[in-house]
Amino acid sequence: MPEVYIAGADMIRFGRHPDRSPFQLAAEASLLALDDCGMSILDIEAVFAGSTFNSASMVAQRMLQLIGQTGVPCVNVSNACAAGATAVRQAILAIKSGEYDVVLAVGAEKNPRGLLASPPSDGPPAEGLFGSISTPAIFAEAGMIHANRFGTTIEQFAQVAVKNHHHSTMNPKAAYQIETPLEEVLASEMIAWPLTKLMCSPNVDGAAAVVLVSEKKARELGLGRAVRIRGSALMSDPFEARSPEMFDPNSVTRLAAAKAYEMAGLGPEDLDLAELHDCFATAEILHYENLGLCGEGEAGRLIDSGETALGGRLPVNVSGGLLAKGHPIGATGVANIVELVYHLRGEAGARQVEGAKIGLAHVLGFATVSACGVHILEKA
Amino acid sequence: MTQSDKSANVGAATEPRPAHRAVRTGSDGSHWIEGLRCEDCGAFVADAALACRRCASRKPLVAVRSTGTGKLYSWTVIHRSYPGIAVPFVSAIVDLDSGMTLKGTLRDVDMASLRPGLPVRVVFDDAGGARDSQGAPYVGFHFVPGED
Repeated sequence: MPEVYIAGADMIRFGRHPDRSPFQLAAEASLLALDDCGMSILDIEAVFAGSTFNSASMVAQRMLQLIGQTGVPCVNVSNACAAGATAVRQAILAIKSGEYDVVLAVGAEKNPRGLLASPPSDGPPAEGLFGSISTPAIFAEAGMIHANRFGTTIEQFAQVAVKNHHHSTMNPKAAYQIETPLEEVLASEMIAWPLTKLMCSPNVDGAAAVVLVSEKKARELGLGRAVRIRGSALMSDPFEARSPEMFDPNSVTRLAAAKAYEMAGLGPEDLDLAELHDCFATAEILHYENLGLCGEGEAGRLIDSGETALGGRLPVNVSGGLLAKGHPIGATGVANIVELVYHLRGEAGARQVEGAKIGLAHVLGFATVSACGVHILEKA
Repeated sequence: MTQSDKSANVGAATEPRPAHRAVRTGSDGSHWIEGLRCEDCGAFVADAALACRRCASRKPLVAVRSTGTGKLYSWTVIHRSYPGIAVPFVSAIVDLDSGMTLKGTLRDVDMASLRPGLPVRVVFDDAGGARDSQGAPYVGFHFVPGED
């Protein structure tokens, strides 16, 4: 199978960008990624753009309108929070097909404000009448299953927010760069038990981009800063008896992780760092087990051990994660790949995971149904 | 539509409409919860489909009437919701004894008593007094603790 490499990778700082369109955000991130590998938009043979709320307006072409209308094929991808990972994966497949040597994948989003929810159905709004359809509610309910089965405490869930916010203080591109001690996380506004406000990812805008190249092109450019794609999986939610009433973030993640590990010929024990989809603090706990970072029921102990903090055995979300870096839906799946690239190149600054050789990026998108992307990257 | 048109329609359309896809109303005005079951693999689903989403069997799904009792599977207490929605409330995931899972609001419950397996039952309601654009009322449901 032909190998695919990441030659260029970068992102804009996440946050509120009221004065700029999603196309401008995409353009800025793409230029950063191109500059990172000394390439031009004129070198790009195809563009894949992930954006959940803005895809219908053809983000990729609108971006080219701002940086160079070269006429190359553009594909606009919407796949909930997995849109960015889907764009990257489609770009990888496009290179593997042999048709292209240099492809740009970009994720860009201007999120709607406030609590996000699934589109309304017929009849009176379900919220409050038939439980809650808010995303915090859905991840609170998923976390409560873990709490009920394994005794996971609100303090353990809260420690995820403490850790990821701490990491963000070392990431100049995170939307929020503040320490949030445990007492502060627990005392912040209760949204949906056990999730307080600081345990929910902030709704921000952002964009991230990667330039993917064939092995031939990677060798031409020089492998010095190149990062190799070892595994790239995208899976959808399989049948779950309680779904969609009870959202299940686990089975789809397990499917995608198994596929990515198999493709890479690697296991969780080989990872030096992971960027996983901590849209809510409960989600990180669940995904420790879903990604095989610990055994069943051990995720509470894993967060307590400090092993997933910077300096620990397997640092998780050293970027600050979605909780602190922010979660511009379609950009997230590209941004977590960009974070891995920084570390695998040894260019992550104060938060560098020392000697990082292999990293895993995970995103989970859902809107009553779900999509999960897992990428495993290795220093070339 | 003017105010007087609305008032006229309230009288004209009194048949309650289901506010939730699992609610059914009989010719005698009684209500029940109904799910669907695949005859080939036995999977229960709440939504009509062209084939079973578990085994892909194209045998028509059969309607299964719920007794309205079930057990609490998971929950959260909502403290912040969308503008205009009263909080706090319990968002509950309930496994119905007849074999289907439903999300609903659990009312009249002591928060300290919340636990997996807590017996609950369905109570039909007027969906917060909502009316459709023709003025027809809705029938909804919520859960309360207890076996019957």
